[in-house]
Amino acid sequence: MTPTEPLTRGTAAAAVRPPLPVKMVIAGGFGVGKTTTVGSISEIEPLTTEASITEVAAGVDDLTHTPRKTTTTVAMDFGCITIDPTLKLYLFGTPGQERFGFMWDDIVEGAVGGLVIVDTRRLDDCYAAVDYFEHKEIPFAVAVNAFDGQVEHSLDEVRWALDVSDGVPVVVFDARERGSVRDALLVVLELALARTEN
Amino acid sequence: MADGTPPPGPDPVGPAPAVRPFLVTAGRVADAASGRSMPVETQVVTTAAGLDALGRLSFERYDIVAACRLPQSIAELAARLRLHLNVVRVLAEDLREAGQLTVHVPDAEATHDASVLRRLIDGLRAIPDSRGEPSDTD
Ligand SMILES: Nc1nc2c(ncn2[C@@H]2O[C@H](COP(=O)(O)OP(=O)(O)OP(=O)(O)O)[C@@H](O)[C@H]2O)c(=O)[nH]1
Ligand SMILES: [Mg+2]
Repeated sequence: MTPTEPLTRGTAAAAVRPPLPVKMVIAGGFGVGKTTTVGSISEIEPLTTEASITEVAAGVDDLTHTPRKTTTTVAMDFGCITIDPTLKLYLFGTPGQERFGFMWDDIVEGAVGGLVIVDTRRLDDCYAAVDYFEHKEIPFAVAVNAFDGQVEHSLDEVRWALDVSDGVPVVVFDARERGSVRDALLVVLELALARTEN
Repeated sequence: MADGTPPPGPDPVGPAPAVRPFLVTAGRVADAASGRSMPVETQVVTTAAGLDALGRLSFERYDIVAACRLPQSIAELAARLRLHLNVVRVLAEDLREAGQLTVHVPDAEATHDASVLRRLIDGLRAIPDSRGEPSDTD
């Protein structure tokens, strides 16, 4: 094959067309149930890989007045759902970060939507994720993980505390229940669909 | 490396058993913008040329070309081969240039298309819950 030829031409295996991959992001603070959520609905055991995220340090560089950025290696886990041979949904869990200033662009870029998982006992853990999706204008829903059926705040209180706009759905779900995870993902997809329609 | 440290002198026949990412990619790194050029869900597939070349490839390159006989995302590849995502990005690009892999970067317009979203919604609704019940339709 000469270098100028299209790389896929005439090769048998290239006839294997991979599915169109669509990505959804599962975010939230430490230990809120992100991995559990992915595992409940993924057709494979959640896999973990090392990825890079950018951390914007507090304050600015004295000389350039730009925020200091460093790259951090984090463990990211994910799973997938084959819709049909031509379409596959990937669920990527962002690493749990309770602080502001983390940029997950490397993971999130191109995502169809996001689910921010919240533990009502530690509401402030999810601010970073809510801010991130709002800033990136990625459709997202807030899903309150009902640990053992317990939710310490009403959904209105959660909505008020997180200060999310009216367009952001807030639902209760159980990260360990496949049907419950499925329905939470559906809320996000419906939201993404509604966005295409106006 | 404790054992297997090659004696000084000419290169041994094979590389050392454990190599650091930097060595795997010959010092090249995928930068922060790589998430845009090759997102984590990007699909990679071995070509016939890649299959032919399999016997001549070694280590990570061999593993990648062998694994991608089944199409998969670069995230799956990285997880299964225990490589940093950015290492997979660099190697996948090399193998693509060599004609041994095809790299299918998802088209953002296609993945956000209303018909694709409807297919995802229908597909998800059909997934039974733990008791075997599909989602209530509206
Ligand atoms: N009782 C109960 N336990 C849960 C629920 N969801 C998750 N857990 C448990 O809570 C712990 C944390 O859940 P993970 O899914 O690992 O949370 P995570 O968000 O992935 O955590 P990090 O990746 O460390 O940030 C685990 O021990 C889970 O078994 C739930 O709905 N009820
Ligand atoms: Mg986790």
